[in-house]
Amino acid sequence: MSGHIGKTSRTLIVVPAFNEEGNIRRTINELKGLGRSFDILVVDDGSTDRTAELVKGEDMDLVSLPFNLGIGGAVQAGFQYAARYGYDVVVQFDGDGQHDGRFLAALLNPIAQGDADLVVGSRFLEHLGYQSSFLRQIGIRFFSFLISFLIGLKVTDPTSGFRAYNKKCFSLFAENYPIDFPEPESIMIVHRYGLRVKEVPVKMRGRQQGRSSIRYLKTLYYMVKVSFAMCLDLMKQRGRIS
Amino acid sequence: MSTKMLVIVYCVGLFLLLMELIRRDRLNFKYAGPWIICLLLGIFFGVFDQFLYRMSAWLGFGLTSNFIFFAVLGGFVFLSLLMTLFLCQQNKRNDRIAQQLGILEHELRELKKQNKSSSS
Repeated sequence: MSGHIGKTSRTLIVVPAFNEEGNIRRTINELKGLGRSFDILVVDDGSTDRTAELVKGEDMDLVSLPFNLGIGGAVQAGFQYAARYGYDVVVQFDGDGQHDGRFLAALLNPIAQGDADLVVGSRFLEHLGYQSSFLRQIGIRFFSFLISFLIGLKVTDPTSGFRAYNKKCFSLFAENYPIDFPEPESIMIVHRYGLRVKEVPVKMRGRQQGRSSIRYLKTLYYMVKVSFAMCLDLMKQRGRIS
Repeated sequence: MSTKMLVIVYCVGLFLLLMELIRRDRLNFKYAGPWIICLLLGIFFGVFDQFLYRMSAWLGFGLTSNFIFFAVLGGFVFLSLLMTLFLCQQNKRNDRIAQQLGILEHELRELKKQNKSSSS
């Protein structure tokens, strides 16, 4: 149910959106079309276009951040919301229309069965749908190799933002989550806290409208920053969840 | 005016400016602390400059001026690191406040809606 305070379901779908006026309505309709066994929260990350306005028109739960925090900050606001209202599971579902809602069940299964604390939807396990550009694939493979080299964990799609988190995992991230380019680093954090990561095959689509926030020089910054943060994470103390 | 006097007057002047800024609540002590320490050191070495020569020789500097440049640059690097640290801390707090503000705003909106529908 939308437009409420508190939960009506055990699962919250967090949709981070920044300047997604061209995609957000389609994303919301897709999620609504899947049935109402979960709550949906759109986190508008300080958009300067009509994203928030369109979401309000859909009578949807909306958290509007006063300024742009970056994808990590927006998702973390969703985690905080979930922790505040006592949800059991959070699904991250990007507002740019790249994620396919039909794979939600596959993403939630390992959490429901208690096999994983974080489930990552991978487009490379069965090579379904849009496989990203050649340059991006190189970057993804690099991070995949780096994670495997640093912590011995095989993750084929570490940059995927199509993810499910159980309570233990999102409560941890509600307190501590990388603000910019968080996905690969968050896998390191999960591993550091002794939580389990699992990948499931999902299908992704190409971006329908608008442009990705990671372009040009930012790509280089992204690669360096994330690699550096991942290496530094190794030096941090092994955490424990109380 | 001798160089020694110039250094002392400059450091004392800056020190008084800092005190005035703190007094007017334009600067708080937490952030002024490192500057105060630097200026007190400047005044101390300005008055007792023989310590500066001795320390410079002891550390192996050929010229005392080189030691002074090194100390001042080192001090500024340290101060800018401290400021970066404060900035990061503030940034984190801003992010957290923005997130909480967004959530609270949502709650308020929903409460208003509920209030409206229950009163009508």
